[in-house]
Amino acid sequence: MKRRLWQILGPVLCACILVFGALLLPLRFGAPSAREVHSAAVSLNRDVLSGERMKKAAVRRGYVPFIGSSELSRMDPFHPSVLAQKYHRNYNTLLLGDPGTQDLSQFVDNQSLLGKLRGKKVVFIISPQWFTAGGQRSDAFAYYYSPLEMSGWLLHKRGGLADRYAARRILAMGNTKGAVHAALLSVAAGQKLSWPVRTQLRAQHQLLLNEDNLFSRTLHSGRPAKITRAAAKLPAHATDAQLAKLADKMGRRCSRNNPFGINDGFFRKRLYGRKLARLAGSQQNFDYRRSPEYSDLELLLHEFARNRINVQFIIPPVNARWADYTGLPRDMMTETASKIKYQLRSQGFDHILDMTTDAKKSAYMEDTIHLGWRGWVAVDKTVHPFLERKLPAPHYHLQNRFYTHKWQQTVMGANHE
Amino acid sequence: MPSMQPYTDPRYFCILLLALAPLVLGLLRGRRHRNYESIVSLVFIVLMFAGPKWQQGVSLIVYVAWQFGLICAYAHYRKHNNAGWVYYLTLFAVILPLAIVKITPAVAGGQPSLIGFLGISYLSFKAIGTLMEMRDGAIKELRPLLYLSFLLFMPTISSGPIDRYRHFAKSYDNAPSRDKYLDMLSHGVRYLFQGFLYKYIIGYYFGTILLPIVARRALLDRAAAGGTGISLALVAYMYVYSMYLFFDFAGYSLFAVSVSNFMGIDTPMNFNQPFRAKNIKDFWNRWHMSLSFWFRDYVFMRITFFTMKHRWFKKRVHISQFAYLCNFLIMGFWHGVTWYYITYGIFHACAIIINDIWLRFKKGKKLPSNRWTNALAIFVTFNVVCFSFLIFSGFLNKLWFTTAIR
Repeated sequence: MKRRLWQILGPVLCACILVFGALLLPLRFGAPSAREVHSAAVSLNRDVLSGERMKKAAVRRGYVPFIGSSELSRMDPFHPSVLAQKYHRNYNTLLLGDPGTQDLSQFVDNQSLLGKLRGKKVVFIISPQWFTAGGQRSDAFAYYYSPLEMSGWLLHKRGGLADRYAARRILAMGNTKGAVHAALLSVAAGQKLSWPVRTQLRAQHQLLLNEDNLFSRTLHSGRPAKITRAAAKLPAHATDAQLAKLADKMGRRCSRNNPFGINDGFFRKRLYGRKLARLAGSQQNFDYRRSPEYSDLELLLHEFARNRINVQFIIPPVNARWADYTGLPRDMMTETASKIKYQLRSQGFDHILDMTTDAKKSAYMEDTIHLGWRGWVAVDKTVHPFLERKLPAPHYHLQNRFYTHKWQQTVMGANHE
Repeated sequence: MPSMQPYTDPRYFCILLLALAPLVLGLLRGRRHRNYESIVSLVFIVLMFAGPKWQQGVSLIVYVAWQFGLICAYAHYRKHNNAGWVYYLTLFAVILPLAIVKITPAVAGGQPSLIGFLGISYLSFKAIGTLMEMRDGAIKELRPLLYLSFLLFMPTISSGPIDRYRHFAKSYDNAPSRDKYLDMLSHGVRYLFQGFLYKYIIGYYFGTILLPIVARRALLDRAAAGGTGISLALVAYMYVYSMYLFFDFAGYSLFAVSVSNFMGIDTPMNFNQPFRAKNIKDFWNRWHMSLSFWFRDYVFMRITFFTMKHRWFKKRVHISQFAYLCNFLIMGFWHGVTWYYITYGIFHACAIIINDIWLRFKKGKKLPSNRWTNALAIFVTFNVVCFSFLIFSGFLNKLWFTTAIR
């Protein structure tokens, strides 16, 4: 019987040892290759965003994070990634963002990355559309939530107002559980983590780290090929003005089936027919001026300041003809941009490109709210020198009042910058 | 105290296997420690409903008391009498809690019923089957404590497979011989690891990694094909969801059978390579077998005999067609009172009726039958089944009747 039992249970024993060994030991894995990093950096893949390995490797190789949301996936020939590749810029783009990643998602998912960016540069595209009454959508937060980054954040010393505010906001998203949940409660209450929670978090963090190392290598993305195809449509050399002209031409050619200047494919797929009629005047009551998102933004600013990162902020516009059609109030948009700019400037973040005044230009927007063609060229006109120039270390002076409910609800006049 | 859901994480398996170790040792020595088994089962059932789920736990206790009382009372009555109305009344009372739980969300705007708990369906199936077999006289004598262990058999309590009282009793009364038990153990280990592969690797890949991606794409394309939302992403969703459903549930069932094996109880298998089915009838003999056999014996056959006895139809064919329709409609309603579950039921009823017509048409004709026609049959069946799972998934409801995400 003993022999038989060994035959049955022996393999089980081996399996257990192998699995726990692979997951819980602090193993070392080789760095990803240049090709892997290149593919991951433009893949917009969720695993890249919520993992550590690829992002860190990219920064080591001199990639510059472009933090944003859905606009990053609009890869026409004038997209930052395409221009960087085509014209052999001294930087590469690490695209971080997808539909639904707002400030809080980015704050959690980029914790390990932000620490590696000390003294470096970041481009940050802030969409006014994030600043709704509810702020970060909890379903999107859960979708992009990174348990790895979260447990890493919790294992560092936590205490100040920003940390406590962050913990409260993350708890409000309602998707955390187990040790992470318990630890967040402690941080929110300003208490130290108990040792069982800390031990559990540490094991969990190691496990997730190994997982990230093991599985981030199986990534396949069609985006590098897409970028190369897009780059092929560009001339070998071009000035900004030539690029803008080409972008205008291309944009007009691609948006002919509608009066809004929206990409034909997008319009056909999403807005055709009854759908369009229903949307007339539908955005009259939209309001981006009062939102918890302003304090979530402050969390990111806090990280930028702590790590002395030079940040180029970009505030994209909404397609003006589309805004007129849906009744999106123009004053509200101006005031939203003003409020964001005020929050940035008053704390020393001076590199801001506010594009909201350019909403009317032709071929500027690829669809309703996403930059395209000439819009990207305008971005490049600012971003390119920002990234090529040597900049002095920034000096930021943060203010806690931006975490208050009062600030979230404050409405600023357009001239109040 | 946090609640512990069966088979959800490695911790659960570690604790469960440790708790079962004394039982395994006993069985290896040819002894079944029934008291210890009952205690372990009870502890794990309490853990399932501990903490925030205590309300479900209370429901479970009340429910079990209700079913136990009803069945014992009927068993006592059935020893000497056999009136139809008593049987129907008892049957009604046995089904009642499940019916309430299933109907409540439909009439209360999605609010779940207060008396519901995880596993109510499977307990009800066991109770109903037992009652019917008592009425038939197949169960001569019901032993109350055995019935309770059967009803609350821990490995299968939340989602089956559905055992039968007599089959369970045969296993439970005797301890298997050492050789037989070693065989069970080795199968148990095999099923356990097959379950890990199915549920945590393949099922996880389809359900947790692919499904959200295709769902997102499909929802973004909701205006496609003239507003019907029929897009490539939706087709992808259909296949991904079908794979997820199979591997997740088959994995779960394998765990239940595996743990039963460790406990020396022979629980029926639930799946037998369902995607290799050559037609819909074949599919139902391979998919969620313990449920479909339950429906065959206690719904389909009963309706068939009832309509035959009362001569509702002249043709035999119509009897079986009617029985199929009832059978799958009831199955649809059981899944939940929503348009998509009911549509799923009707869809399968139609599919199996058409299948039946085709089989009768084919009979006596010399149609080619070879490797290629077999492959075609499997292909067609697979796609019909996947389409039915798309209905079942409720995703169409989300696609068509909820507001767009931006």
